[in-house]
Amino acid sequence: MTENQIVELIAALMVLLGSIMALISAYGILSLPDVYTRSHAGTKSSTLAVLLALTGVFIFFWSAEHYVSIRLVLGIVFLYLTAPVAGHLICRAAYNSEAEMKDGTGENSFRYSSPQKKKNSID
Amino acid sequence: MTNFIFVAAIILFSLSIALLLIRVLKGPTLPDRVVAFDVIGVNLISIVAVLSVVLRTKAYLEVILIIAILAFISTIAFSKYIERGRIIDRKPDR
Amino acid sequence: MPVQFLLNLLIAVLWVFLKDADTFKIPDFVTGFLIGVVIIFLMHRFFGTPFYLKRAYSMLKLLWIFNYELWTSSILIMKQILLPSATFEPGTFSYETKLKSDWEVTALALLLMLTPGSVVLRISPEGNVFYIHAMDVKDSKPILLKSIQMYEKIILEVTRP
Repeated sequence: MTENQIVELIAALMVLLGSIMALISAYGILSLPDVYTRSHAGTKSSTLAVLLALTGVFIFFWSAEHYVSIRLVLGIVFLYLTAPVAGHLICRAAYNSEAEMKDGTGENSFRYSSPQKKKNSID
Repeated sequence: MTNFIFVAAIILFSLSIALLLIRVLKGPTLPDRVVAFDVIGVNLISIVAVLSVVLRTKAYLEVILIIAILAFISTIAFSKYIERGRIIDRKPDR
Repeated sequence: MPVQFLLNLLIAVLWVFLKDADTFKIPDFVTGFLIGVVIIFLMHRFFGTPFYLKRAYSMLKLLWIFNYELWTSSILIMKQILLPSATFEPGTFSYETKLKSDWEVTALALLLMLTPGSVVLRISPEGNVFYIHAMDVKDSKPILLKSIQMYEKIILEVTRP
């Protein structure tokens, strides 16, 4: 196999690995018991899956068509910066609106104390 | 050979979107549904990217940026609505 | 610190002029930049501030830690989803930090979001106390506390060199 074909195969395998991780994380969001644990799965492994897939597509376009697409790089950087922040915001909104938390230990003594809806602002 | 791998990746991403749709329909509280929507948007980005590889075109790469920005802003708007009941505040001092 | 970087750029541009080529070539500029790094490293004691590449190196180390934590946290979450023994117990705890300014607290909160098994719930209005929700409180809490102290040290290296 020529060198170009090896690089294309590596890019395809990266995309496949990303899709398998996305499937596992979607199954996790379906089967985990609680809002907070679901946002764990939604921010960490989902972001990594899509980042892998986009990097694979970038490498493929670079080697097969000699086209360095700056839009894919911008998309990768934007997703890297904003997906954890969005997950944190929705987790905080769920906590402030007193969503139910399923927990085993009694370690959360500060739960629902001082909601302070006015002071705890977005920015 | 690589074409077959890309088509298989598209099928797996669509399966994960289908599973997430079940969570959107079922989720007992509103933040459940917002988390699932955010992940659906992110998976949609990767489907568009892999589709532009299968069809050998560069025309769909701007759509990726737009979907990413819209998903992020809509998640922020939803979380602001859940916390306060309105999205844009009228008075600047809290 | 920016004085050192500007001087470096100046030495690089001077090197490009001294090379006397017909067009502006990138390898000439890069060679000039490297020679500038060597010159400023030999003379950095006269400036009073530490050598500026150290801060760039600390930033690169921070980026590398971001990436590494992203990978390990994803693998841990996938392991917890796939294995049928649902023996993890979610719980929350709080942590008081000593970082002061906005940038440092933001960087620490982002790092905490990406560590294996923890999600930041709320930050107190003074900016000191983090409330953290963990997937598995019994196993992850000591590991998390140790990692947080390592992150604080690395972030302090970047902003106060």
